[in-house]
Amino acid sequence: MKLSFSKQDEQFRAEVAAWLQANLCGEYETIRWRGGPGDEHMYVEERKAWERKLHEGGWTCIGWPEAHGGRGASIEQQVIFNEEYARAGGPGRIGHIGETLAGPTIIAFGSDQQQQRFLPGILRGEEFWCQGYSEPSAGSDLANVKTRASFDSDTQQWKISGQKVWTSLAHESQYCFVIARTDPDSVGHKGLGFFLLAMDQAGVDVRPIEQLTGTSEFNEVFFDEARCGANDIVGLPGDGWKVAMGLLGFERGVSTLGQQMLFQNELNEIVALAKRNGAARDPALRARIADAHMGLRIMRYNSMRMLSGGVDDGALQKSAMIYKLYWASWHRNLGKLAMDVLGDESEILEAAPYQLGRLQSMYLFTRSDTIYGGTNQIQRNIIAERALGMPREPRG
Amino acid sequence: MEFTFSDDQRVYQQSLAAMLAKEVAPETIRGRWSTASGFDPGSWQQLVDMGLTAMLIPEDLGGLGLNEVDFVLLAEECGKVALPEPLVDSALVASQLLVDLVRCNSDFASRGTELLQQVAAGTVQVAAGHMINPYLNFAAEADWLLLGHGEEVHLVARDQLQLQAQKSLDPSRRLYRVAWTPSAASRLVDGQQGAQLWRIALNRGALGCAAQLLGLAQAMLQQAVKYSSDREQFGRAIGSNQAVKHLLADCAVRIEFAKAVVYRAAYTTSVGPARADCAVSHAKVAAADAALLCARNCTQVHGAMGYTWECDLHIWAKRSWALDKAWGDNGFHKNRIHEWLLNPRALLGAEYTFGASNRAFDISTEPLTAETSS
Ligand SMILES: Cc1cc2nc3c(=O)[nH]c(=O)nc-3n(C[C@H](O)[C@H](O)[C@H](O)COP(=O)(O)OP(=O)(O)OC[C@H]3O[C@@H](n4cnc5c(N)ncnc54)[C@H](O)[C@@H]3O)c2cc1C
Repeated sequence: MKLSFSKQDEQFRAEVAAWLQANLCGEYETIRWRGGPGDEHMYVEERKAWERKLHEGGWTCIGWPEAHGGRGASIEQQVIFNEEYARAGGPGRIGHIGETLAGPTIIAFGSDQQQQRFLPGILRGEEFWCQGYSEPSAGSDLANVKTRASFDSDTQQWKISGQKVWTSLAHESQYCFVIARTDPDSVGHKGLGFFLLAMDQAGVDVRPIEQLTGTSEFNEVFFDEARCGANDIVGLPGDGWKVAMGLLGFERGVSTLGQQMLFQNELNEIVALAKRNGAARDPALRARIADAHMGLRIMRYNSMRMLSGGVDDGALQKSAMIYKLYWASWHRNLGKLAMDVLGDESEILEAAPYQLGRLQSMYLFTRSDTIYGGTNQIQRNIIAERALGMPREPRG
Repeated sequence: MEFTFSDDQRVYQQSLAAMLAKEVAPETIRGRWSTASGFDPGSWQQLVDMGLTAMLIPEDLGGLGLNEVDFVLLAEECGKVALPEPLVDSALVASQLLVDLVRCNSDFASRGTELLQQVAAGTVQVAAGHMINPYLNFAAEADWLLLGHGEEVHLVARDQLQLQAQKSLDPSRRLYRVAWTPSAASRLVDGQQGAQLWRIALNRGALGCAAQLLGLAQAMLQQAVKYSSDREQFGRAIGSNQAVKHLLADCAVRIEFAKAVVYRAAYTTSVGPARADCAVSHAKVAAADAALLCARNCTQVHGAMGYTWECDLHIWAKRSWALDKAWGDNGFHKNRIHEWLLNPRALLGAEYTFGASNRAFDISTEPLTAETSS
């Protein structure tokens, strides 16, 4: 065990810091510290431009293999990049679904042709992706998707019809990865396909859904014979579930590091506020601030341990499984802590008609952390059944 | 001992519930969000017609002479429908403070009595701006405002002050920062008496808040129970999963146990509002805990639906988050309980469940020490 970074890594850190200092300024000054959890709808165009800027510096998709245009950065380097990015107040990454979910999935399961076609747009920070999994009747029971995909032999294209819901950033995305039923007689996770679908076409209708926050980050997406090329299915018809689950594995990987850094920034903001407004003198709040700090450290150490491969006793699986439950609950509590530190001001908005302050947005957003990406209840079921091997719950 | 409500009290509660069910639906609340005042004079008139603005005013001052125990169930009903109009603060705090002022300032007696008659009849509205709340809800609707300058109590006409509107996280609430200039003419009582009156007002305000939180909690739980029975995943109602059941069972337990605390505080306030600090603080903490747990768990049970503006649940959740901080937050009230408990003269023996007397359910002998905390 050696809990420090090598000389080369520290050099890398200096390089990242210098680049950010030289570039995250001027026209990008306004987006520093913005676009994080609960703030995704802010400065979208500026943040898209920033993605392109990052690409110019070679800072998008650094963890991807060099063969696919990434830097092949080591885990240590990715950790460092995320630390420095957060320290500099780097804006929420609008390209994160492409970089951390779609890209790695296409690299792992996609054809050469798909890789050539879709990866460069993600790398360049020009093409954004959304996740078309959930449907009105397929939330926790994701395998219950009803969206149909049928192959039209005349046009040699897939025709996709059905409805997705809660699709984050669909209105900002050029592409959506969609799970749809290729075998109309199938049920459950058999008979599904995983499609890479262009959003800008007649058969796709995106309608925003207003959230608790009064803003819209997610959408309903209707497919009415939306077209998808014969080559734009990842794997074979019937492989959809395998690919979809592979993708969720990436969700718990390196992408957690950037998230933890955002959390650190939020906690710092709360501590600074508590000192400013006197809340830090309240012993009960002090204890909760200390708890929040400890919880974040626990997540961080566990991620490092998991990512550095030190867990070789089969527990790796388990630590990946427990992560979502832990961070979601921690972050939900952090939201409450922020409101309590704000005190009376927690109720007062910044402006009419419904403009929330950053910590208020964060609070409301954290109400959803324990829901998306697998609810706390589903996570506990998974831990009990898959990690502990307990008897499965009866399913209807 | 009789720790129950009378038939009359229950009947009053039921008739208010029936009226509110007709008048205050989620759609009508949403309708208020887009109006300038956020206040519906029609609903207010209905409340006046049911006697709610008159009920706590003593009979000799033109009211119905009922008390906090009669009122607590009604405040709970207001919470259940998330009533936007400030009935609870108005009837329980402002008009009661007026009554106290009439009683302790003979120069004000005739004018105060006249004002109370108008309040009871619903032709005039009075609001009380307590220093514990930096913002005053629906201040723009009040014709007269009772305001504190240090410990003095002043009565100020609305056109004598400046209101600066503030947006609330809860779109039903209309908050204002109040700027005004105190004068000898507006002062009704001075420091010594004022401090006591403001303390009593705080107890009434926090009690009203607690009762509403209790109602908010129940309404959220009811919605989540229904949703969990209707919504299916994995081929069956989500409510058939233990994990979901337990989330809501925890809410039910928290609510039921908070009820006893809130009702006890109502009793204590009715017989000795100046000695009710500890009981009221306990009520505020317990009811807010129940409402916050319900907001959290009921949102969770609704899945992503619970995170939308369209789902009615946030009407109640946002009110709960606002009232959690109003009239003293959790920290403030826990401190009051600490102060009371740690006071060397506190009477904490087994025989003091309801105060200094173990023989009768008589709060008038509540330990004096409650009075010395502030
Ligand atoms: C902010 C946000 C962003 C999102 N972004 C996306 C996106 O980009 N793409 C996408 O595809 N989806 C997205 N989602 C959808 C998300 O994945 C689903 O909300 C989630 O899977 C839960 O499904 P549901 O909302 O239908 O809740 P339901 O599945 O209806 O669950 C309701 C309640 O029942 C419980 N429950 C259900 N089944 C069980 C069980 N078997 N045992 C115990 N408890 C159970 C749940 O825990 C929950 O409390 C997003 C959601 C949110 C809130």
